Amino acid sequence: MNKNLLIVKDLKTWFPIKSGILQRTVGYVKAVDGISFSIHKGETFGLVGESGSGKTTVARSILKLIKPIAGSVYFDNIDILNASGKELMKLRRRMQIIFQDPYASLDPRQTVNSMLIEAMKIHGVFLNRIEAHEKAIELLTKVGLSEEHLYRFPHEFSGGQRQRIAIARALVTNPEFLILDEPTSFLDVSVQASVLNLLKDLQKEYNLTYLFITHNLAVIYHMCNRVAVMYLGKIVEIANKEELFRFPMHPYTFHLIEAIPIPNPEKYKEKILLKGDVPSPVNPPSGCRFHPRCPYAKEKCKTDTPEIKEVAKDHEVACHYAGEVSFY
Amino acid sequence: MAHHISKKEVILEIKNLKVNFTTYRGIVKALNHVNLKLYAHEVLGLVGESGCGKSVTALTIVNLLPENAQVVDGQIIFKGEDLLKKSKEELRFIRASEIASIFQDPMTFLNPVLTIGEQLKEVFMLNKEALKQAIVKKKVLKRKLSYSDFLSLKKEANDVPIDNINVSKKDIKEIVKDLCIEVLKIVKLPDPERILHQYPFELSGGMRQRCMIAMALARRPSILLADEITTALDVTIQAQILHLIKELRDIIDASILLITHDIAVAAEVADRIAVMYAGDVVEVASSIDIFKNTLHPYTKMLMKSIPIIGKLTEKLEFIPGTVPDLVNPPSGCRFHPRCPYAKEKCKTDTPEIKEVAKDHEVACHLY
Repeated sequence: MNKNLLIVKDLKTWFPIKSGILQRTVGYVKAVDGISFSIHKGETFGLVGESGSGKTTVARSILKLIKPIAGSVYFDNIDILNASGKELMKLRRRMQIIFQDPYASLDPRQTVNSMLIEAMKIHGVFLNRIEAHEKAIELLTKVGLSEEHLYRFPHEFSGGQRQRIAIARALVTNPEFLILDEPTSFLDVSVQASVLNLLKDLQKEYNLTYLFITHNLAVIYHMCNRVAVMYLGKIVEIANKEELFRFPMHPYTFHLIEAIPIPNPEKYKEKILLKGDVPSPVNPPSGCRFHPRCPYAKEKCKTDTPEIKEVAKDHEVACHYAGEVSFY
Repeated sequence: MAHHISKKEVILEIKNLKVNFTTYRGIVKALNHVNLKLYAHEVLGLVGESGCGKSVTALTIVNLLPENAQVVDGQIIFKGEDLLKKSKEELRFIRASEIASIFQDPMTFLNPVLTIGEQLKEVFMLNKEALKQAIVKKKVLKRKLSYSDFLSLKKEANDVPIDNINVSKKDIKEIVKDLCIEVLKIVKLPDPERILHQYPFELSGGMRQRCMIAMALARRPSILLADEITTALDVTIQAQILHLIKELRDIIDASILLITHDIAVAAEVADRIAVMYAGDVVEVASSIDIFKNTLHPYTKMLMKSIPIIGKLTEKLEFIPGTVPDLVNPPSGCRFHPRCPYAKEKCKTDTPEIKEVAKDHEVACHLY
């Protein structure tokens, strides 16, 4: 069960900033700057962080949709970043991604049927016409739609239904691993609930492994087994969900959880607010990237970058004073 | 939070508001009949899913509806007068001095080619009467005019004879600059003097939203409409802005209408919460009451569909079906096709909103 399906080691994805007539590279946006984690088979691994922390870049780098500048990604012991085009194609059949905006990820000029069949063709799922048609209906039923939706265009569907179509399309290749990049952020809460339920059902049925990316901590809590928290291109804490939400060890994680509005006015308490804004990833602060906003920062934090290390069992933290500071 | 509403004075009352939009698809019945009261010095959270009419309600109050919208019926009573009967000029003045609004995306409301200082000054200059009074006051006080001095100025006609006093351009410039710096300080922007000379693109999302709030403060509003002001922001920044909003209520003694799709955000700051569904207000109660004694089936189901940290559940409950298309809204109660308790009556009769418990109003035939 605890077999690692995906291993990411020291992944770095930098985007060059070009300027001037000669378009010289004048600097880099260090979107992902040396992160490591592994995802066990069958689990839902959550990646949470504020906007600009590099969550989506991680997702795209894993699929090699963007080429990272350093590091390695192993999927089922295959090195993705050095895989040839053919190998990559094969790999992508086993790993799929679902994007945030179902209004952008579906082709407005294709019917659901042709979208699903196109995906089958591209990925070499060889079926004759009748089988392909049956498979398309089967997938639609699995995601809670029906045969009558097969010949409709995306504009005829609501946001939640579109996201279901995107999920059906991702399932065409019988993948083992799905990256869900903010799959419900575009949806209303009442619809979000049904899509989250669907994702849980599908995971059981197909034994899927998820990388669940979102900025919404409540959704992370509901969906995930283990969670990694990102801040400015680095992972600051990885732990089991319960442990992370009950005993956060990184000051950033603590404040992030503290900042979530609680839908119960009776439990209201004065919040301990974090000061300042997220700095730009072009010029990240020296040492620990969180130190300018951290209420517990000491001299060492300004100069030394903390490495992520296991502080308690299965609980990794990148903080010089992990376990030493009390947040209350 | 949970401030007791000591003085229950109604500052704004929306009665039977009905708004339609003419589109190529037909007439969108965006607001069915909205009834809502905003009390003095309260934060009222207006909650609902997208397309339920939260923003249309706010836009109708300040008469900023697009041209294809028609107010079919209803009244919006502010200070004893119907805002819907006011002329464009009068409404401009009301927006400039009484009802300020802040929206989701500050970048679309800030002018990208003017500095924050220029834009903020413009807002102060809008209300010339107040500015003249401020200058008089400064001369009487013989010191720098603070924002609280500015707030204490009377809203209506002044009793100080302005004509006798010589108002120079230099006076205006000085006083406006002082006030600009002070409102930027109130919204907790670091280094306000520098921010005056910066352009919107140089600021982060949270800072821009603070600038928008500063501009609202410059108008000395008695009502602040805040439409999804934290939706585009990160959680840690959202927490800062919500905290600021709560402080502002006391600083400017205004009522705040906080519009949000996130009931948790409303729970954090609002004294009362109104829930909207498909163009109707379906439930209004104090924020504690609405969570504790939820009455309307829609509100109940909405609350159960939110994942909550610390509460492990295998499945979330969800509301079957989708939000109706308001070109052809369902007859009777607009929620009846999705409601598990719907009876025959719900299909034909539209429920009126009525008080079923103390300060708890519901629009449902069950009660």
